[in-house]
Amino acid sequence: MMTLLKYEIYRRWRWLVFRYAALIIIGTILLNRVSSPAYQYEFIGESMGKFALTSLAIFIIIIVEGINMLKEDLFEECGYLTFTIPKKGRTILASKLVLLFLQLSFWTIISIWFGSIFFSKLPYHEIVQIETQINFYFFPTVLFILTAFFNFVLMIHFSLTLTKTLLVNKRYSGLLSVGIFILLAYLIEKVYYGPFLNQIKHISIEIGSRSNINLLSGGYTAVFLNIILVAIFFTATAYLLENKINI
Amino acid sequence: MEQILKATQLSKYFYQKKALDKVDLTIEKGKIYGILGPNGGGKSTFLKIAAGLLKPSQGEITIDNEKPGVYTKSIVSYLPETNYLYKWMKIKDALNFFKDLYADFDTERARESLKFMELEEEEKVTSLSKGMMGRLKLTLALSRKSKVYLLDEPLNGIDPISREKIITSILDSYSEKTSILICSHLIYYIEKLLDYVFFLSEGRIILSGNAEELRNKRGMSIDKLFQEVF
Amino acid sequence: MEFNNNIPIYLQIIDNIKQDIVVGKLKEGQKMPSVRELAGTLKVNPNTIQRVYQELDREKITFTKRGMGTYVTEEEKTISLLKEEISKKIILDFVEGMNKLGFSNKELINTLKEYL
Repeated sequence: MMTLLKYEIYRRWRWLVFRYAALIIIGTILLNRVSSPAYQYEFIGESMGKFALTSLAIFIIIIVEGINMLKEDLFEECGYLTFTIPKKGRTILASKLVLLFLQLSFWTIISIWFGSIFFSKLPYHEIVQIETQINFYFFPTVLFILTAFFNFVLMIHFSLTLTKTLLVNKRYSGLLSVGIFILLAYLIEKVYYGPFLNQIKHISIEIGSRSNINLLSGGYTAVFLNIILVAIFFTATAYLLENKINI
Repeated sequence: MEQILKATQLSKYFYQKKALDKVDLTIEKGKIYGILGPNGGGKSTFLKIAAGLLKPSQGEITIDNEKPGVYTKSIVSYLPETNYLYKWMKIKDALNFFKDLYADFDTERARESLKFMELEEEEKVTSLSKGMMGRLKLTLALSRKSKVYLLDEPLNGIDPISREKIITSILDSYSEKTSILICSHLIYYIEKLLDYVFFLSEGRIILSGNAEELRNKRGMSIDKLFQEVF
Repeated sequence: MEFNNNIPIYLQIIDNIKQDIVVGKLKEGQKMPSVRELAGTLKVNPNTIQRVYQELDREKITFTKRGMGTYVTEEEKTISLLKEEISKKIILDFVEGMNKLGFSNKELINTLKEYL
């Protein structure tokens, strides 16, 4: 798997360096702006907003790339190469997911690092207000979001793979994949999260009177559920890749 | 002679279409086989199943007594018709990739072959002409010391000079321990290479035999025989 | 060497080698190219060449030393017999061909005299 991972990194190393460098550089520039002695509250909000947007953009890129890593092997000519090398389906899938995991982790660390510095620049009363609200839920929330998105990508991988075992030509594959994904998402929402719904709390963070951040956080229970889903979808997708797909 | 590949009642259905219909076929070591037939007749399908890309609908295929899987992929060198190399690769990347993933890849031989095929390692894969790509794919496939080579239309769209080089390379890969299966509808150029031929049409083998015996019995070249049959 | 794909390749190669020997292109006792070499030169299947050498060995036109290669026979008698055999075939083909055209054997001799 390390060999495959090496190539997954090698083939896009410039993009990888670029996106994290951009995140760090933009974050640093924005921080510098608010570090000058004469700052204003609005300035911080604006800079934080800009950083948040950049961070979000990079996050979306990571997720989309994570999805495409498998999609191109399933639906494009290079699949002929990927699926004739002597590696098991789970190894091929794992190499892509490991990169995704590394990227998500790296992104999280950078975003939180800058985010916390931004927070520390806020006027005192703002910090106290926010800290008391998010402190308790912070770590599990972060984990929840990460595992949820990791699972999201895996669910899409599964939908794509299942489509590839059922359909041979490319025409309706997009439609079928989306259909399978929606069905799965609906089932999971109803059946899986249902019994545990009382565990999931809604928390609201207010920053001044201007903005609200609503977070869905079930604490560690939800994180655990997500990890189980990840395991299920990984196993299912790996099985299909090894035994059922027709390229 | 030892058997290396065996297909028993192998069938592949795509919706209503029978791409392969109860095919029985055996491949022995040390021989070069031609699977000949019209386009859409099932040749590519057969090769893809042997390569592990398609799963049989019915019947069975074994290579070295194993069903297609990780082991067979390590002893089978497959040359598809498509441009299957990753688009981000340069030729040297393709070499390294094959070296890293195939234990039987002979890098020295690959480099010599690249010289013979007049290909530069720094070239991007996307900038290669059809002839160059054909020569590169063949170099990669034949630089592996595999037990079975599956070549799907190796001469398609290839200019005459490249064609001669490809034929020479195929002959160089021959050994008593290996088997080569060539699918082609350009029979004229390859028929002198073939020990044994299978004529595949609409998923069924309608004729098979030793090439020289067929020439003798029918009094015509395999090419003419093909035209007659189809 | 140009091949006619309508007749077995190995027969054509055998005839070619026999000619080369009679004509002197291949000398007595000369080492023949290895199976692989000849297959590569002629661009034919190595098993075909294998069969060629086996046939030639059988007719004692060549002999194979295990592990060393195949050699043209050193027996002059064999080579002269071969020359006879080939020339006889050419004459036979000529006579047959002329007969087909309608020449009787007498007319045939006269035409030949004129030509020469």
